[in-house]
Order: sequence, then C-alpha cells, then structure tokens
Amino acid sequence: MSTADTQTGIRRTPGLVPVAETMRTTERHPPEEISAPVPPARRTWAFWRLLGSELGLTFRRPRNLALLAVLALVPIVLGIGLWIAAGSGGDDEMSGLIQDVAGNSLMLTFLSFSFLVLLLMPVVVSVVAGDSIAGEAGTGTLRYLLAAPAGRTRLLAVKYLNAVVFAYAATAVVALSALLTGLILFPGGSVTLLSGTTVSMADGLLRILVTVGYVGAGMAALAAVAVALSTFTEVSIGAIAGTMVFIIVCQVLRAIPDLAPIAPYLLPTWFTNFDAVLRSPIDTAALRDGLLAFGAYIMLFGSIAWARFSGKDITS
Amino acid sequence: MRRGTFVRWGVPIAAAAVIGAAIGAGPVIAAVSGDPVLPERSAEQLLADAAAATSKQQGIAPMSGTVQQTASLGLPALPQTGGQTSPLSLLSGSHEVKVWYGGDQKFRVAMPTQLNETNLIVNGDQAWYWDSATNTATKLTIKEGSEQKHTTPVPQPTDLTPPQAAQRMLEGVDEHTSVRVINNAEVAGRPAYQLVLTPKDEGSLVQEVRIALDGETYVPLQVQLFAKGSAEPAYQVGFTQVTFTPPAAENFTFTPPAGAKVEEATLGEEGFGKKAEERAEHAADVAGQVKWVGEGWSRVAVVPFKLSDLQAQAGQGADEANGAAMLDTVLKSATPVSGTWGSGKLIKTKLVTALLTDDGRLLVGAVTPEELTKAAGVK
Repeated sequence: MSTADTQTGIRRTPGLVPVAETMRTTERHPPEEISAPVPPARRTWAFWRLLGSELGLTFRRPRNLALLAVLALVPIVLGIGLWIAAGSGGDDEMSGLIQDVAGNSLMLTFLSFSFLVLLLMPVVVSVVAGDSIAGEAGTGTLRYLLAAPAGRTRLLAVKYLNAVVFAYAATAVVALSALLTGLILFPGGSVTLLSGTTVSMADGLLRILVTVGYVGAGMAALAAVAVALSTFTEVSIGAIAGTMVFIIVCQVLRAIPDLAPIAPYLLPTWFTNFDAVLRSPIDTAALRDGLLAFGAYIMLFGSIAWARFSGKDITS
Repeated sequence: MRRGTFVRWGVPIAAAAVIGAAIGAGPVIAAVSGDPVLPERSAEQLLADAAAATSKQQGIAPMSGTVQQTASLGLPALPQTGGQTSPLSLLSGSHEVKVWYGGDQKFRVAMPTQLNETNLIVNGDQAWYWDSATNTATKLTIKEGSEQKHTTPVPQPTDLTPPQAAQRMLEGVDEHTSVRVINNAEVAGRPAYQLVLTPKDEGSLVQEVRIALDGETYVPLQVQLFAKGSAEPAYQVGFTQVTFTPPAAENFTFTPPAGAKVEEATLGEEGFGKKAEERAEHAADVAGQVKWVGEGWSRVAVVPFKLSDLQAQAGQGADEANGAAMLDTVLKSATPVSGTWGSGKLIKTKLVTALLTDDGRLLVGAVTPEELTKAAGVK
C-alpha cells in the first residue's frame, strides 16, 4: 500500500484475487466459529486499530480537510462582517444580536452555530458519513475490508464512530474558529445571556463546551441517518444527496406553520436547541429533550444500517 | 427471503417500537396506573376552597413552571410580520412561557424564542422588562392604584398565567351555565379537579370551558375552551410542567447588562408609552358605544363600525401596518351574507363569529351565524 494511495483514500491490496463475498460465502463460516478463539482483548485492540486507520484516512483526505476549512471560514467572515457593521452603524440601528456579538467575544460562537447548524454543518457531516460504506463499495474496497475475520457489525461500528468523531471535529472547528475570531475582533470579559443576566467569561467558555457537546451529538444523529442511507447504495453521492434531501425536506416542513405538530419528530428541529445554554437558569429540559431525540435517531437509523449491512450481498 | 433477513429487520422494527413506546409512555403509564382520584367536591365547595387557597394572606404558594398556550381558533392564517413576541401571534399556533413565582409580588415571566428571550421581572414595586432582540431593558415603575392598565384590547404576555385566565372565566358563571366537577383529571403530572362549564344556550359556539385546579394547592393549572363539534380545545393555556417549590432568588433580581439600552417607563401615569394610552382611550371610547343583544353565552356585541375608519387608522405606524395586513387577510376570508336585516360580510371562526354590516355595524359573539343574523335584526 503506497502512501499516495492511502492519502486519496483508496485501498488496494495487491495479490488478492477479487472474490465476491455473498451471503453464501459468509454463511459457510458462521462468524462465531471464527471469532470465538480470538481473545476479547485482541479483538478490542483490532477494533481500535481499525478505527485509528479509518480516522487517519478521513482526516488526511484533502476533500474532508477542505470541508473543515470552509466551516472554519464562515465564523471568520461572519465576525469581520459584524465588526465592520458594529464600527460603522449607529447604536440604534444594530439589532440585539449584533450588539451582543460586538459586546462580547464569546457570543460569535453561538451566532456562528445558529447559522451553521441549519445547513452547512449537516452538509459536511453527511459527505463523510454518507461516503462511509457506499464509498468503499463504489471503489471496490469493501470486500477486502470484510475479508479480514472482522465481522460486518464491527466494520459498521468503526465506520459510524469515524463519522461521529468527524462530526465532533467539525463542531470543534467551528467553535475554535469563532472563538479565536471573536477574541481578536471583540472585547472579552463577562458574557450577557439572552435572559439579560451576566456571567463570567469562564462560565461562558463552559457554556460553549456544553454547546459543542450538544451540537456534536446532533451531528452524530445526522451521521447515523447518512450511514444508514450509505448501506443501501454503492454510489456515495447517492447517500450524500439522500441525506441532504432529508435535511432540506425537514427544514421545509418546519417552515410550514400548519405542520407545527410534526416538528418535534424532525431531527433539525432539535439542532438549534443549544440556545438553552444562553438562558438563566440553563434550560436543561430543552437540552435533555434534544439529546433524547438524537438518541432515538441514532438507535433507529443505527439498527436500520445494521440490518441492511449485515444481510447485504457484497458484490464489489 | 431468508429467515435471517426477517430476524435482522426485526431489530430496527423493535427499535422503532421502543421509540414509539417511549414517546407514548406518558399516556400509557397514565392509563395503566389509572386516573388519579381526588375526594369528590361539588362545584361550590371547590370554588370556595380555591378562593380560600388563593386569598390567603400569602396568596398563591411559590411555584415555577412552563406554561403552554395553544390557539387553534380557525382564524385565517395570520401574517407573521409581528415576530414571535407580537401579541397578535398569540392568536394562532402554540407558545410557551416560563413562569417563576416567588410570592410577595415577586414573579418572572420569560418567553424564550429562537436565540431571543423577553423577560418580565417584577420584584415588589420594581419591575424590569428585558428584550434581548433589541437589547433593551425597560425599568417599569408601577404607580399605586393603577390596576386598570389592562384595558388595552390586545392580549399581553402576562395574561397567559392560568390564575388570571381562570379568574376571568369564573366571572362568567351564572344561571346560563351548568357547572360540574371532574375529580380525576391530570395536568402537568399532578392530580387536578376539573371545573366544567357548559353553556345552556343552544346558539353558543362554545361547547364547554374546562378549568383545572390543582388537587392540593387549588392553583388553576389549565384553562381549556372547547368549540362545538371539535374534540381538541380551540384555546388552551396551562402548565405543562410545574413545581411548587420556591424558585431561586436570582430569578427576581435584574441588573441591566453592560451595553444594553436602559429605558424608563411608568405604568399608569403616562401609560406604557403614548400608544398604549391612546389605545386604551380608544377602547374605552368603543366600549361606551357597545350595545349588547342577548344574554349569557349567546350575548352579541354590536359596535358602530366603519371599515374605512379602520383602514385609515391601520395605515399609520409600524405596529398598525401589521394590523392592516391582518385586516386584509381576515376580510378576504369573509363571506357576503344578506337577509331581512340588510347585508354584510360574515367572518366565521371556531369560537367567534363576526358580522360586518353594510350599514356600519360590527356584530361579534361566540354564537352561530344564525344567532348573529338574528341579532342583526334587532335595531
């Protein structure tokens, strides 16, 4: 395996004759017989090693890095735009949110999240998560991954965890970029919450940390949807586009006032709930409801992905 | 299909079932554990207990909770120009406010919206109104003996608290109403009495009004208005979550944050700005001209009214522009009707019917269109 191949994310294993793995070949050797002799410690080690190699591939891939760079760019553009607006406009013309951002460096993070969770972050996450299984199938490398006595469940778990780590990385990139931009352009100090109360900067940073955890969990839930779609196709763009359609349809449905009763069942409804951390006292009920919704989505789409992938005929 | 396939796909189906069960767990658990049954009370006993509980020296016990208000009045879709905190928006859709009540004239009402929040914090004679969207803190000084401030015809966010809504409803209890008590209701997870007021009048559009009182503290927890022929309440305001423990003291203190605009307003003297005073004056003016036809639930208000006046008035100011847009929408949905009394435009919603006659009268009532046209014949 050459370095160039690794960097472009294509696996080639020379010397192996391509053999289509079908249900018949897998059922001839039930997985229990193979995995039983392997001590559990070695299996977990193999799991982490596989995850490590997946993460290496994901974070070395230029496309993924470019996506993260775009995410990092948005808070910078937003910050500079607001900085110019705050510098030129009179106090009366500024809306409360711009004033909040201009008044405190930490608020840019929350503003950036409120823009990015709607579309751009879901796009970035679904590109990586939608590519996970379908991409391997499309380039014909999936059967080699399954050739190792690994088991499909484990491969799926590794692929999903890889997407989750990337989702959190994307969230952290947005937070760090916004935080740095904010600290450079705007004054620091105590933070004014939406409720009008003021908290210390350390408390504000803690609230950003909670936001990162919450938004990351939301993106992980979206990654579950993308991975599930990814198991149904061999064309990664299909899974990515499918996830995007899912997000856009959800956003459209949310925008229709008459459909308000179904809004709680739509995943993107819960993404913006992170503003609960900006209230006093923190609206833990809103955060808890959001996390429960994310958990439900992960459970449902994770199990769909598993049911599909473990029974799929791998022909490429 | 192999057998293994069915077993495998059983897993996501089971997952969906578990999630569905979790979503529906509340009603299911309630159904399994049975309805909470409180000792039986007659309506008079219940009202007396409630009055005793609320008029005690300390008033209502300290509490906090979430109040949800849902309106599906069957109005034509109103333009959402006023933003989510506009009083007009309370007429349709669902809204949530958080309430903290600390006793001793201390309370806080917060209306959280997406990345915004409006707060009303009252602590004794000091009150603050905070709006994060405009970054403005308004210090409200409440003048003594200015209880008449709520004569403005638009609903205020503070009207949402169940005690006030219940009080308004109880004023309507008289010989036109049959009252019964349900002792096994549950609101916000608490056993509650439900006072059911049913209009005896056939012409009324109101099926019944249900007021839920907490079984322990007699605090009104929920008010529901049912229109005839619909199982869901047309208007509902009530706690979705409530705790009767004193809320933290910092809820009732407010210091304007640095960088915020601070304004001052005195309620009762100058009004909440000049506009509110004008509005109140206008409302009083209109109230003087109102003629009532009928009695009880099928009472119809007859107001001298000219469409051109309203349209001219609606053209002024940003707030009135919303009104103009709303007026246009409402008028578009009106159906022309005519009879021996003349002709006019009829606007029908689930709860309220309005008739705008061509001879310059506006008839409004919670009655069927037939009743309204009958009232239009009474000169």
